[in-house]
Amino acid sequence: MAINDTSSVLEAREAYNAKLAGAHDKTRIVWFPVTLLAVLLILPALQFAGNYNYVLHLVLFTACYVIMASGWNVLGGFTGYISLGHNVFFAIGGYFAGMIFARYGISTIILAPLAGLLCAVAGFLLGQIMLKTRGPSFIISSLALVMIARILLDHWQFVGGANGVALPANDLPVQWAKLPYYYAFVLLAAFTVWACYKIKHSKFGLGLRAISKDEIKAESAGINTRLYKQLAFAISAAFVGMAGAIWGEYLTYIRPNIFTIILVSVYMVLMCILGGKGTIAGPVIGAILILAFNEFFVATLGASEINILATGLIMALVLMFFPLGIVGTLAKAGKLPRILNWD
Amino acid sequence: MADIIQTMILGMALGGVFALMGSGLSLIFGVMRIVNLAHPALIIAGAYTAYWGFRLAGVDPLIMLPVAAFILAVVGIVIYKLVFEREASSAKYTQMTVLLTFALAMIVEGALGTAFTNTQRVTSPGYATDAFFIGEVFIPKGQLYAGLVSLAIIGGLSLFLKYSNFGYAIRATTQNRDAAELLGVNVNLVAMVSFAIGIGLAGAAGALVSFVFSFFPAKHWEWIAILMSLVVLGGMGSILGTVVAAFLLSIVAAFVGDFFGATWSTMTFFLALFLVLLIRPQGLFGEKPELA
Repeated sequence: MAINDTSSVLEAREAYNAKLAGAHDKTRIVWFPVTLLAVLLILPALQFAGNYNYVLHLVLFTACYVIMASGWNVLGGFTGYISLGHNVFFAIGGYFAGMIFARYGISTIILAPLAGLLCAVAGFLLGQIMLKTRGPSFIISSLALVMIARILLDHWQFVGGANGVALPANDLPVQWAKLPYYYAFVLLAAFTVWACYKIKHSKFGLGLRAISKDEIKAESAGINTRLYKQLAFAISAAFVGMAGAIWGEYLTYIRPNIFTIILVSVYMVLMCILGGKGTIAGPVIGAILILAFNEFFVATLGASEINILATGLIMALVLMFFPLGIVGTLAKAGKLPRILNWD
Repeated sequence: MADIIQTMILGMALGGVFALMGSGLSLIFGVMRIVNLAHPALIIAGAYTAYWGFRLAGVDPLIMLPVAAFILAVVGIVIYKLVFEREASSAKYTQMTVLLTFALAMIVEGALGTAFTNTQRVTSPGYATDAFFIGEVFIPKGQLYAGLVSLAIIGGLSLFLKYSNFGYAIRATTQNRDAAELLGVNVNLVAMVSFAIGIGLAGAAGALVSFVFSFFPAKHWEWIAILMSLVVLGGMGSILGTVVAAFLLSIVAAFVGDFFGATWSTMTFFLALFLVLLIRPQGLFGEKPELA
């Protein structure tokens, strides 16, 4: 064998890598998320036994936030750019699909991918501007974006200004009225989680994670950081926009103070931070916990002000004591249950 | 002509108040590198202090001002001790503190909302609705007094920073924290005191705000972006820059409001924030683009 013949070494390395990846694959429990999805898909059968609309609403609501939080995670978790303005894309998606639905009667569930595409374009272009800033000034500029969107939507008479637009409700019997949205949200959430997994394990995702660790080094390692960041922005905007599109029709009205209140984007951020930024299962766990907590608070205390107080408290405590979030902290300690290891 | 002067005066009167609102934010960023998103929420806390002083005891908000400043300064020390002292070693410090102060803003908003509900309040001493007339031009007394008091406070602060030993230490820490520490400045004490001063300024600004604007706990979201635009345009950490930016933007906003209607005048601040971050992230008086 010639001394400069490296092919056998490369082959051996490839085989070794494949073996490692295989070993990792075996430790991952795929059946758990799949079973979870299956259970959620047959859950509406409960309606045959009685009125479980509230349960369906909770699952649907959680699925909606799973989509948004996972979408946010692509930019905030993988890439490390914390945006407090992602509800702008929620609004863009909701208004785009909602207005077409109101005018032409095309279901927002069909329009959702289009809304996602529109948000991706909007995210790409906004990213071109906003991603010139970094760290705290990115956060500040994202806040300013929400304020601008709020003023524009409040005063744009075509979309109803501050009063918004009422959308027709569907004519299914009450028992089944939530069903289309339920399936749309649950399937979209499943797709989002899967897509996030694929993104994280692609070369693109590796680049994003490199950017979050050290942008300058990532750039000098040959990553086109600008393009990567903008794409991450576009992808995360698209998911949030798709959720917004269906959410408007589900609520039967679109109004600025549903989409552009700061609490929506705070929830996205908080879910990711609580669950674990940059992990796949984190936003899902965060969404479930935060919404369960929120529901509990609203049901027992009924006051939205205490809710804001509690949300702020949770956020501060998590940031101070578990900055890695539930999944991150457990994984670091080596105590992450295998069923939660979706990465 | 009278119209232009009038708009100008109204803009300047607001600028004075905004200058005080922003200067605490600027001081805190300069010394501690904390972008304090909770600042406007704490300003509203100060406004409530003045409001209740006026409502319950009939004390003039201008007299309540030092009280509000003192109470808020104590709150600032507590926040510093509880939260920021332990975060000083955090790896992603600036980013972390932005999120933490954001959470803090929600805590303050929620607490104020729970205690005092979300109804609009305004303190109404006699001068709040009165005005001086010079020919055709009128100057609202409330805003004039607020602007003058605010400039006096900022002037006092500048003198303190410039001529006192402690102010010297604060400026040294702003310029270079490590070097200041090497030269024997107790950086932690400086940070704590400047944080307390900054939050105290928020309290003082709150007392002025209480009779210039109507306020309610959730209003601080709007102010965050407004104050950020002042501080960013002025250059993060430069108090002079903040004051200049406050007057500049308020006057521009007053003209925009005059031409296009009141809703668009707030838009001026948000757009300015966006543009400054993109074109000149270090602002007018900032030395280097540390934030970018």
